[in-house]
Parts: sequence; structure tokens; C-alpha cells
Amino acid sequence: MAAPAILITAFVVIGGMATALAQSLGLFPLVGPPSLTVAAYAAQASDLPVGIGLSLAIAAASTVVACLVGFTAALVIVQGRWCGKLVAALGTLTVPVPHIVGAASVSLLLADSGLLARLFNAGGSWPELVGGPWWIGVVAEYGWKESAFVALVVTGTLATRAVSYDETAALLGAGRLSRLRHVLLPLSLPTLTVSATIIFVYSLGSYEVAWLLGRAYPEPLPVMALRLFNAATLTARPEAAAVAIVTTLLSFGAVAAALAYLRRSTLWR
Amino acid sequence: MRRFGIRRIRFGTFIAGAAAALLVLSACSAPAPAQQSFASWDQVVVDAKGQTVRLWMYGGDEQGNAYVDKDLIPAAATLGVTLQRVPVADTRDALNRVLTEIQAGTRDGTVDLVWVNGDNFGTGKQAGAWSCGWTSQLPNMLLTNSSDPLLGNDFGTPVQGCEAPWSKAQFTIAYNSATVTDPPHTLAGLLDWAQQHPGRFTYPAPPDFTGSVFIREGLDSVSGGDKNVPLRFDQKAFDRLTPALYSRLKELAPSLWRQGKTYPKTSAELNTLYAGGQVDFTMTYGPAELTKLVADGTYPAATKVLTLNEGTVGNASFLAIPSTSGHKAAAMTVANLALSPEQQAAKADPRVWGQYTVLDTARLDPAQRALFEQLPQSAVVPSYDVLSRNANPELSAAWVPALDDAWRRLVLAGR
Repeated sequence: MAAPAILITAFVVIGGMATALAQSLGLFPLVGPPSLTVAAYAAQASDLPVGIGLSLAIAAASTVVACLVGFTAALVIVQGRWCGKLVAALGTLTVPVPHIVGAASVSLLLADSGLLARLFNAGGSWPELVGGPWWIGVVAEYGWKESAFVALVVTGTLATRAVSYDETAALLGAGRLSRLRHVLLPLSLPTLTVSATIIFVYSLGSYEVAWLLGRAYPEPLPVMALRLFNAATLTARPEAAAVAIVTTLLSFGAVAAALAYLRRSTLWR
Repeated sequence: MRRFGIRRIRFGTFIAGAAAALLVLSACSAPAPAQQSFASWDQVVVDAKGQTVRLWMYGGDEQGNAYVDKDLIPAAATLGVTLQRVPVADTRDALNRVLTEIQAGTRDGTVDLVWVNGDNFGTGKQAGAWSCGWTSQLPNMLLTNSSDPLLGNDFGTPVQGCEAPWSKAQFTIAYNSATVTDPPHTLAGLLDWAQQHPGRFTYPAPPDFTGSVFIREGLDSVSGGDKNVPLRFDQKAFDRLTPALYSRLKELAPSLWRQGKTYPKTSAELNTLYAGGQVDFTMTYGPAELTKLVADGTYPAATKVLTLNEGTVGNASFLAIPSTSGHKAAAMTVANLALSPEQQAAKADPRVWGQYTVLDTARLDPAQRALFEQLPQSAVVPSYDVLSRNANPELSAAWVPALDDAWRRLVLAGR
């Protein structure tokens, strides 16, 4: 039954990755004869560590923000009332907004000459949120968009699995905090882990938000790959493929770590 | 125009016929060229009917988009050619598409015509991305000056009929005369001004096209004029000339916008900074856009063009046909149409696009010349003659990535 889906996915993923790998190893040069070489990796060896560090940091910060905000929002949604409905509606509205539109909006809102800076008439004292040294605009955009995703997914889990346990614990006299610690958090942990992995891998591999809201240097890996891919130098294409392969390996690493963690978790089954 | 046109076409037919005969003879000894060629211009016009041409061009210039949509596309339709404009964020995207199509062995690609020049043209030519030797068949090529250096070499890459000229451009720096009361008159003076007024100047980070030109302007300036910089790239000249450039730019960096710790990534970002009053200077390779931006209030009303004593670099931009295009005849027809005096004059109108013509007005008949003489003058941008005074040639394309990479390494990453 699953064969067609697996075939299509495998064709795209394995085919695309094999092409990228071959290109990064110099087997598909635009000019000159193909030869097996790691020159493309070596050429970017000085920029790669910085790019890897920055990409991991942005992805980690975005994931933490999204999970904290999203989990809190899910708790508010699950407790019902008008406030929960409002948060649920806001979350539902946020999910279909494309990231590039979100990034453009964040830039209009938070940039030096953006809406907020003008509203508060901050002039030169506005903090460097967009294009600044701490990549706050980028993390804010991922955090905002993905927290809605976390909120909706975790709400699904809590609504179906947690409510009865929560009520039982309450009847047995558990306070709010202890119910959060001993009932709600453990029950949502697998869902949270899966969501966090998706967010981490997504923000690690997507370029448009970091490109629009980031600074020129240092660059996260996807921005670096795209710059090299678009470079006028013909030898830069294998280097772009090399950066893409490194990004893919990091993503695989993150997914593998998350799966290993879930396997040990008793709640997974 | 018509009468002249017909005579030219007949002459062109003769030449092309002779060339075809020669080709047939030479085909005995050499393998036939893979690229489609035409016996005569008449045949091109006939073949073009009913074909669709997808013109890939930088889509960030609204006036350029409007000119193509409202003038060029209807004019092409009267010739039986469906012209479609494909906007791209950067011309490199179009080149990349062609390179990918070449890698995939495509013969009927999605790109039929590209607005291109400089390093993209040079790179594409190196990779065999362009059809070559077709521009001499265009009747309107006779209206250009064949010895014009801007049309014979594109950033040092010989054009060799691989692209048809379209527009001329002049690198231009604009400033807000309300805040800059003591405008400098040389590029060195501009850098000094920036140092005396911290935070009020910056430039786009190469490899952005405009930022990259600014670096080359800087190289000319610190080397004591463009005459001291060889147009052809050679590593010795690079090693000798560029340390002064990068040390000057590094020295300047702390006085730039955001202390030079970061730069606008694109010229559009610099334009936004200028429009928002965060910096006092902006720069562009398309000075025509200034008129409209000042008129609609995007830019400060006091915006003026900074004329530099040593001149600025100028270049021409072209229309190239990818070797993967399956609609070569129609693409040639559009390239010829774009070169016609009527289209060139419409494009040069500052209310339309304001792109300077590549035609040699001395070769036009009085009626054609009148089209250009009737064009209104802009209040912000001086005429091409003034703007291109002391114009410097563009360095060869091989300089561009070398200068950009070293800038990234030494100036951007060095802070």
C-alpha cells in the first residue's frame, strides 16, 4: 500500500541527494572533465565551521522559542474559554502564512526604519533586530510561525489523551503546577519532540528568512549554498552542492538523535 | 525608415546567402555547427511567426517591466511573435537555468532571451550557454556604431555576435542635497566625507551587482585613476593594486552605517535605507529610476546626482539567446525589434524607462533622430552626455569575482 508514496519520495530524496553529492565531488562540472575530488569541500573549509555553528544556533534558538511559546499556547487553548478560542484562532491563522511573507512582515515591523521604530520615534536608538549581530529577527520569525504549529499539534495530543488523566489527577488533589509537571508535560513530550525536530530541521535548511532578515556575514549554511550556487564563477556550483550536503548531514543527525530519544521514551508506543 | 530597412534587408540577404554558401562549402571539411542558423533575415521573420519568446529579465525595475509589457510585447505581437516577460530576482537565476538545461541536454529550453551583461555573459559564454554569430543578421545592427568599444566588448569579454546591444548605462551616485551641504567631487572625497560623517554612508555588499561596481570604482580611485588599472585581469596587477583598496575600505568601515559591521545585502536594501533617511547617499547603475522615485516621493525631493571629476564606469547591456532556446528565429526578431529607433526612443523616455540608447544617432535619418530629440529632460538626472563624461571602461569580467571574494574575506569577515 505504501509503495507508491515510498517510490515517489525515494525518487526525489535519493535522486536529488545523489545528484548533489556527485556534483559536490566534482563529477558534474560545468566545464572541464569530471574527476573525483573533495576540492569543493576544501575550498569552503574556512567558512564552513562558522556557517555550521551559526545555522545550528539559529535552529536551536528558534526551536526553543517555538516550543516554549507553542506549548504555553496549547495549555491556554486546552483549558477552553474565550481566551483559548482566541489563541486557537490566531494559531490557525498563522499556520498558512508562507515564511517569506512572514519574513517580509517582520522586516516591515522590526527593522530600523520599520513600523515599530517609527511608532516609538526611536530614531537612532532602535536596537538592531533585523540584520543585527544576534539574528533576533530571524529567530523571532521562526519562533512566531512555528509556535503556532507546535500549539496546534500539542493541542491535538492534549485534547485526545491528556484531559481524562488531568481530571483524574485534579480529583486526587493535584495542584496546577504538579499536574503540569506530572501529567501534561510527560504526555505532550513525544509530540513536542517530534514537532521540535521538524522545526529544527526546517529552520536549519531553509534560506529565505535568514536571507531577508539576516546580515551579510557570517552566513547560515543555506544562504551560503544559495550564494555559491548563484555565483558567476563556474567552479562555485560544486561548492554550493558541498554546503548543501553538509546541511543535509546535519539534518539527518538531528533526526537520528530525536528518533533515538523517542525510542527510549516509554510513552512513544 | 521603411525604405532604408528594405534596402538593408536585401543587402543582408545577399551577405547571409554568401555566408550560407560558404558554410555549405566548409561543411565538407568541418562538422556542421549544432546551432540553428538562417539563410536570410526574411527567413528569420517567416520562421518567427507564431513562436513564443520568453524574455528572462531582472524584475526589480518597475519601469523596465512596464516598458516591456506596454511597448515591446504589443510591438512583437504585430510581428506575430508572442513575447512573455519572465521576471527574475537576479540575472544569475536565468543563467543558472540555462546552465542546468545544458547539463540536462535540453534542446527546447524555457529561456529564449536574456537581458544580460558582464560576468553573467562572460560565464555563460565560457560554458557555451549562448547562441553566437547571429547579431550580424539583425538589420537594425547597422544603426549602431560597430567600433563602439562598449558594444564590442562586454566587461572585457568579446561579444562576437553572442548578444545584441539593448541599452547603455552609467554608474551613478545620488545624494540628498538637503543633508549633504558639502558634496564631494571625487570618489576619494566621497570616502573622506563618509569618514567625517559616521553612519551616513554605506554600500551594498558584493557580490551584489551595484556594490561590486562600487568596489571597482574604489579600485580605480585608490590606484590613481582608471588608466593605472589594466582592463584584463592578471594576478600580478591584482596583488599590486588591491591592498591599497582593501586597506582604505577597512579604514573606512567603522564610519559606515552600523559601524561597517554589516552591509546592505542588495542595492534594494541600500535604496530603502536612503529612502528612509538612514544614509545620505545611494548608488545605481540605472540612473533613470531616480526621476520617478523623486517624483513619487520615495526619495527625498532634494536628491541630486553626484558628478565625479574622474567620471564613473559605464557599460552596455544586451539581449542574449541561450543555446538551449528552441525559438531562435523569434528571439532574433525581438532583439531586432528592441534595437529599432522607435523602441529605443520609447525606452529612452524618462517617463517610460529612461534607458540610454545604443544606437548611433549619426546613422539615423532625420525623422528617426527627431524621436530622440523630442525626449523630455529629467530634473534630477543630467543627460547621458553629461553623465558619461570621462566615462571609465568596465574591468574585464575576471576581475569581478576576484575583487568580490577578496572583499568578503578581508573587509566583511575581517571585522
